[in-house]
Amino acid sequence: MRRPTLTALVVLIGVLLLADLLVVNSVLGQAAGVAVDAAILVAAGAALAAVGALAVRRAGDLWRRRGDPVGAALVLIGMGAVLVAGLRPGADGPADPAVQWIVAALLIPIGATLFGLLFVTTLAAARRSLKTGGREAAILVGAAIVALILLLPLAGAGGAWLAAAGAWALDVPIGAVFRGLLIGVGLLTAVFAARTMLGIGAADD
Amino acid sequence: MTDRARLLGRVLPLVLVVALAAAWPLEAPSWLRLATPDAGAAVSMRTALDGLPEDPIVLVGFDPDIGTYAEIRPTVRGLLADLLARDTRLAFVSLTPEGRALAIAELARLRRGEANLARLVDLGFVPGAEAGLVDLARGLAPTTPDGALARTLADEGMAAVDGVAVIGGNDLGPRSWVEQVRPRVDEIPFVAVTPTILLPEVQPYVTGGQLAAVLATPRDGAAYRDGLDLGNLSRLAEERGPSTVPILLGLLAAIAVLGQALGARVLGKVRAARGRDPA
Repeated sequence: MRRPTLTALVVLIGVLLLADLLVVNSVLGQAAGVAVDAAILVAAGAALAAVGALAVRRAGDLWRRRGDPVGAALVLIGMGAVLVAGLRPGADGPADPAVQWIVAALLIPIGATLFGLLFVTTLAAARRSLKTGGREAAILVGAAIVALILLLPLAGAGGAWLAAAGAWALDVPIGAVFRGLLIGVGLLTAVFAARTMLGIGAADD
Repeated sequence: MTDRARLLGRVLPLVLVVALAAAWPLEAPSWLRLATPDAGAAVSMRTALDGLPEDPIVLVGFDPDIGTYAEIRPTVRGLLADLLARDTRLAFVSLTPEGRALAIAELARLRRGEANLARLVDLGFVPGAEAGLVDLARGLAPTTPDGALARTLADEGMAAVDGVAVIGGNDLGPRSWVEQVRPRVDEIPFVAVTPTILLPEVQPYVTGGQLAAVLATPRDGAAYRDGLDLGNLSRLAEERGPSTVPILLGLLAAIAVLGQALGARVLGKVRAARGRDPA
């Protein structure tokens, strides 16, 4: 079903923002500012709604004893701890020492530890992919081994050669692939945006 | 999988963690060097900072993520100390909740290190990601309008900013700043510190000149930190960078694990091919 109002709104705001980028005009700038402010408010509202939905979902899990009750309890306790620390009477919001302690002493080390676990899990996943995957998995793992060797922190002429080879790999093959990907993503985004603005395709259905 | 292989699979990660912990305090021998011999990224960063005008204002887009912050933290602290040692005034802004939490922690650390508070201003958290960046380009709003720096930024917005330093993470990095802010402001240098995972995404913007300099690997960061001359502000940088021996151990372990798996697969294929050989 066509929704011409939505399409017209998208076209109007899209053209407005593009025109503001290209033309210096205070009225145009103010109008574009209203559109951007509205987008920021929507994003902030969506973020708050997502946090609320997470809390409701986890509270529901705990209440109905479904899923992972321990995980749900930990999520709710964590949210509660940060909210109480930051919003209690006399607190200084996110700059409050209690919130800072939660961030510096708990969140950062836990986050870094979880990220560090990727070392082991990625290696395990690579080994599994070699057992079950095809030729692509072997090429992927072979390339990873080459990259790891190029990253060895050696001094002297050997280290210089490895660093030069690593820089070449980044600039030429990897750089070419990513540049192509970025150009492709940019083109697809432009095409999708144009289709949406012109009311063509799934976004308008 | 045999019982022995299962046991090894459980014990080896633990052995590796213990070995890494044991290697952490070891001094690196002379044949190991964390700083990359190719110091191009570090030189580009220094050149970009040397090009800032007298008494500059640098907007610090502080949006690392908690998972990868440990990788870039020594370089970030070195960069902030370097900027302050160059008499730069710093305005911090974050567009992600994790970045905001880390920015508050770093600002608190700078205060504890007795950095000149007149040279720091907190622009707080701006929601909306890319839309927030567009909004930043239109105007800056310090959380506390006290002080000359805050008033200058509130009055002049991005026109008062002489450079942008993006501390990037998985959620928001230099790419968004280049796409959303750079076309909307005057020709000012954009530099960045990012975790390695963002390097392939960011590298084309460095080559294209949209980013004046990027420190995106621990080795680039180490090369940059090695060349710092912070004077009495060295207290604001980290006393000791990452230890090289455990990094080497981790890399060798990864190469051994992957190499063994790849070698076993190749050998298996060769044996299978020989088995099919009618001769």
